[in-house]
Amino acid sequence: MSEVVIEVAQRPLREVNTEIRESLEAGHEVVVRDTRSRHNLGVGLPNNAHIRFEGSVGYYCGGLNNGATVQIDRNAGWGVGEGMASGAITVNGYAGMSTGAAMLGGTVHVKGDAGPRCGVAMKGGDIIVEGKLGYMCGFMAHAGRIIALGGADDACADSLWGGEVWIAGPIKSLGVDSKTVEPSAEEVATIEALLADFGLSDHSRNWRKIVSAQRLWHFESRDASKWLMI
Amino acid sequence: MCGIAGRILNSPGRIGADLLALMDAQMHRGADSTGFALYGTPLERGYLVRAMSPNRTALSTDLEEFRAILKAHGSDFLEDPTWDDAETRHASVRMVIEEPKRLAAWVRDADAFSDHLEVQSVGRSLEIIKDLGSAADVAEKHQMHDFIGTHGLGHARLATESSVSPTASHPFWARPFPDVAIVHNGQITNYFLSRNRLERKGYCFMTENDSELLAVWISDRMSQGMTQAAALRQTISEIDGVFTFLITDTQSMGFVKDRWAMKPLVAVEEDGNLAVATEEQAVRTIYTDEMQMDNYDGPSLSRTWAIGEQRRAA
Repeated sequence: MSEVVIEVAQRPLREVNTEIRESLEAGHEVVVRDTRSRHNLGVGLPNNAHIRFEGSVGYYCGGLNNGATVQIDRNAGWGVGEGMASGAITVNGYAGMSTGAAMLGGTVHVKGDAGPRCGVAMKGGDIIVEGKLGYMCGFMAHAGRIIALGGADDACADSLWGGEVWIAGPIKSLGVDSKTVEPSAEEVATIEALLADFGLSDHSRNWRKIVSAQRLWHFESRDASKWLMI
Repeated sequence: MCGIAGRILNSPGRIGADLLALMDAQMHRGADSTGFALYGTPLERGYLVRAMSPNRTALSTDLEEFRAILKAHGSDFLEDPTWDDAETRHASVRMVIEEPKRLAAWVRDADAFSDHLEVQSVGRSLEIIKDLGSAADVAEKHQMHDFIGTHGLGHARLATESSVSPTASHPFWARPFPDVAIVHNGQITNYFLSRNRLERKGYCFMTENDSELLAVWISDRMSQGMTQAAALRQTISEIDGVFTFLITDTQSMGFVKDRWAMKPLVAVEEDGNLAVATEEQAVRTIYTDEMQMDNYDGPSLSRTWAIGEQRRAA
């Protein structure tokens, strides 16, 4: 399979994304250069595609991914992998606000830290962050797993509806309506097996598993003051 | 949505062209109007004044009246005023004036004439240029490309809180404090109350725009001895709403981000220069190579950057 190099710079984004899609559909591997943190690069990639972004990308890179393998060599802006259904995205550096927002499946792997609201409204899939999770991770997530090896900032798992947040390392504070539960040995083994696929297995970790306390499931307006944070 | 930007150069340079590039890359965030706060070579004597006339056919008469108000305050034009030669009904006027005996008192009297000529900035070096349209349109109309200066701000506006007009757009001057300007991305929800308090202290606001509050609010604190950094931190607990804003004077530039972390900000610092913007792709119109990016994505953040002599001394 041959490799096609696509330059971005200041070219119109629609033209770049069309070129990416056509090259991938023709069976090439794609390397994207001079990315200049442009937005919406590689949105809606097809199944089995392989693509690598050589620099930093802007907002929504790899969004609506449907089975492609995406590598981002430096940082990703807001909403990397937003709404993805399947596939794998790797961010070598920092991933900005709302990583994996509303994703349905697949895996986002961040080697650095992730910004606030990581996994906001996610409905499935896994987000693995080797560094630290920003403020309000898992905000209103419904399903899926967020796994962080370097701890979490304030309001961790805020207003979590469903799904699981797994943290190794310090948690600055828990968000509203989330609770820490003791994971079973089988559950820990499942998480470590997943991490082993990324070469990140380490059985000495002290895991905390955070799930929804489910009180907001039955929200009543007369209780509103209980939830207000200001 | 709105997009904001700031730029500091380690020595005077093409600040107009840089801010145009930063704002041109963020035009999609708001194309109602675009504005710039530019800091050129400071005057040794007098003030630069930027003002907006809603009716250029009456401009000559209005300038005579404006001059009479200046004279009543021991001031006068130091140069003949100039204005753009566009075909729009409104005109943007640039003046250089002798220092009024009491600046705030003159501003108050000049504001009574604002239906004819609205003062939009006063400073030794500050010039606020704002108008309807894109960054490229505004820069072209007001011949900003070759502006030489040390620092400045830019704003692309998507109007949410008040009318779309050249006067209701950003940046806002901290009336009547010379050389202070602000650009804001977000909505302030308690501005009416805070503004009332400041009006009772004698401050005057020209628009219904929520952001106009911020510059005056901070300058008022600073006039009572608070540092810019401390006043900025105080906005996090005392100003409600979502905001990321940039403020600058002749000494330093600063930003604040609200408790909810809703509005982005990214900065690059390199060799005493600074480029800061809502979007990283804007910063990278200036720094096209991969650089160390400071992502201010978290909640309740603020910081300041020194300008000019202070920056070089740091």
